[in-house]
Amino acid sequence: MGRPEEKVGIIGWGAYIPRDRLKADDIALLWGFPPQVPKGIWIEEKAVAREDEDTVTMGWYAARSALARAGIDPGLIEAVFVGTESKPYAVKPSATIIAEAIGASSRKLSTDMEFACRAGSEGLRLATALVASRTIKYGLAIGSDTAQANPGDVLEFTASSGAAAFILGSAEESVARFEGAVTYVTDTPDFWRREGSRYPMHGEGFTGEPAYFHHIMTAVRMLMEELDLKPSDFDYAIFHQPNGKFPLSVGKRLGFPKEKILPGIVTPWIGNTYNASALIGFAKVLDSAKPGERILVAPFGSGAGSDAMSFIVTDRIEGKAELAPKVEELLKRKRYITYGRYAKNRRIIHRNVG
Amino acid sequence: MESLSKAMEKSGVSGNDLDYLIVSTAFPQILMNQSDPARILAQELGLKDLKALRVEYGEASGSAALEVAKSLLEAGRARYVAVVGFEKLTEYPSDKANYAYSTLLDFEYEVVRNITPPSYAAIIMREFMKRRSISKEDIAAWSVNMHEKASTNPFAQLPFKITREKALSGVVISEPLTLYDAFPLGDGAASIILSDEEGLKRASAEPVEVKEITQAVGHPLYLREDLTFFEATSNAWRELSSRTGITIDENTAIQVHDAYSIYGLLALEALGIGEAGKLLTSLDEMPFLNVGGGLKARGHPVGATPLYAVAENYELMTSGFNGLKYDGEYSLVHSMTGPDLSAYLILLKRWK
Amino acid sequence: MKHSISQFWRKKDSYYFIKLTRCRKCGRVSFPGREVCPFCGSRDVETYTSRGRGRVVSYTVTYFRREGEEESMPRIIGLIELEEGVKVPGEIVDVEPSEIEEGIEVEAVLRRLSSDNPYGLIYYGLKFIPVLKK
Repeated sequence: MGRPEEKVGIIGWGAYIPRDRLKADDIALLWGFPPQVPKGIWIEEKAVAREDEDTVTMGWYAARSALARAGIDPGLIEAVFVGTESKPYAVKPSATIIAEAIGASSRKLSTDMEFACRAGSEGLRLATALVASRTIKYGLAIGSDTAQANPGDVLEFTASSGAAAFILGSAEESVARFEGAVTYVTDTPDFWRREGSRYPMHGEGFTGEPAYFHHIMTAVRMLMEELDLKPSDFDYAIFHQPNGKFPLSVGKRLGFPKEKILPGIVTPWIGNTYNASALIGFAKVLDSAKPGERILVAPFGSGAGSDAMSFIVTDRIEGKAELAPKVEELLKRKRYITYGRYAKNRRIIHRNVG
Repeated sequence: MESLSKAMEKSGVSGNDLDYLIVSTAFPQILMNQSDPARILAQELGLKDLKALRVEYGEASGSAALEVAKSLLEAGRARYVAVVGFEKLTEYPSDKANYAYSTLLDFEYEVVRNITPPSYAAIIMREFMKRRSISKEDIAAWSVNMHEKASTNPFAQLPFKITREKALSGVVISEPLTLYDAFPLGDGAASIILSDEEGLKRASAEPVEVKEITQAVGHPLYLREDLTFFEATSNAWRELSSRTGITIDENTAIQVHDAYSIYGLLALEALGIGEAGKLLTSLDEMPFLNVGGGLKARGHPVGATPLYAVAENYELMTSGFNGLKYDGEYSLVHSMTGPDLSAYLILLKRWK
Repeated sequence: MKHSISQFWRKKDSYYFIKLTRCRKCGRVSFPGREVCPFCGSRDVETYTSRGRGRVVSYTVTYFRREGEEESMPRIIGLIELEEGVKVPGEIVDVEPSEIEEGIEVEAVLRRLSSDNPYGLIYYGLKFIPVLKK
């Protein structure tokens, strides 16, 4: 029984992490949190976009890396999707700007999508469906965010900036072919941001069990059942990572050992990049994955929903990682900044402008 | 208005004699919300039968205006022409003047990419220092010399002497360029009255001939092989010297466009006066260089600047400039936009 | 600075890409993309897109501020010699004034160049960063 996804795979991947880092300890000191708070959720520092960076610029860089690895003419890309909850324009798609700036075809589907942290992943599934249905030959799915958090709220420890991009094409050309995917979505009010509001609100504890854990575990279990797979069949399990602790926790509850989860964890050092959260972890794993390995990728977005996707790495991955900056290299590129510079970069400081 | 009436008074040419008013100003639309300033001034003067036009050519607007004036006179289309240059750089907070000044660069490829004129001057200065092994301390000699000259100039914006230490202590604008390496933002106006030979009969002041004017357009900085060679200035000079056969040296009265100290030095080099490193050590023996203090210390009210230089050299060649006498037959005024993006040369000759 | 929407849109290519000109007559390469060779004046030229990689030839850290630039100071402005053998002016970012040196390898990246105000268009264009991958 052929699942449509099986005709499709990832032919190129890329990520981008801004250079500046703010230490969680500095946030704790300023806002009067005991240092055990960030330690307890395993967050050490987070990536902060510069004032001249945003969802578009970061998504562009990740897309270019994906293109370098895919080795295709960008003019053949006929779908560009950007999943983000930090659009530079409330109305005007980031996707069209990125598409133009990388040289994608004008004959294309293109849109920005919102589903908290999983819209990038939804874009990945949609691009896959378009390739599978032969509507397009290649599609580009990007998850990119300059995440917002109310200053002084515990969310500020982790809300960070980053992007990941994937080019989808036929399974035969792919470096990692799609084995199957399940998406599980319900109406769950765990985290939201009203129109016009600068910072999101969340239900604190409520974001855990009924939201993150329930949706990821349900989606993953549904996938494993449909594909008749067990945790031991997977080499890597990559989850949405709002902090370092949650993905280890959900992975454990699903039956994955720590060793399979750790390679895909990046949040402790770059924060929660929202739409790029699980996807940068996925990119990191692809940077060093071997042919034949099976990878589980389970992003989650508040509101709420989770994807569970299974990929099998192909021979074609050999040599591809070297063609663009790897996540490890992006992790190493850093300089520490003060809370003041973070506030300036992220425009938290109120000024008369214009 | 004031500078024009003074010029008319000194020259003995009255308003009714004037055929043409040529206005030189670079940024009136941005800094004065005024287009067509020539017509406005003409209307304000209320003179009968006065024709007017404005010339804009970046920082060399004044020189271009003089070329237009000379052309009208030579073509017999005017007998008396007043060239009036002015700029009001302090009308708005400096950020806005800085913006206006930056529009001199190419909008699409430089301005929008956040490239600004002082950045180019700084890059040229750095390249120069590296290649010639000349230090900031050495270059500061220019500023000290210009201030020395401006200290006796009643029309200078910065009429005070400075020490080399002071010159080096200025706030940084664009490394390695600091405050005293660059021109100050200021306002000013200058007027020159010109006539044809026939018209001189009515004039009461001693005349000086505007003998020859040349100009050249240069390449953007990024297209140059040698960042320290001012090719446009050099080309304008070659044309001037081949047309007139004159030679110049460090004793000639020369005004160079020292918007930045480094630009003044490189202009002198391009004019063949000498090698910049050597010139820096002999500025004190060049009393006829930038007599009023140059852009550096006399000031740079853009549209008026070349006219200030011409006026200073005119005085030098006639009644003397602040007591300084010059008996050379020629003097030269150089102006340019940005880093030699274009260059103008005006050759003045003693009237026989 | 109030930018024209239509001008930005019409010139998109020169914002998003580095366009170069190769003259078939004199062989020289120049920036930007043009119809006429700036060196010899020939119209027998072809334009193409640079890969965006090069080395910093010279640079300056500038504090010179125009309207609306408060949050971007200081800037590092430089001349970058591209692989293709031509220099371009550009802003260099993601590097400290103390870390930048002549000769470092850089790559062109899309960044926000400016925005007229919080309600206006954002002008994206290319700046340079030290290469992330040699």
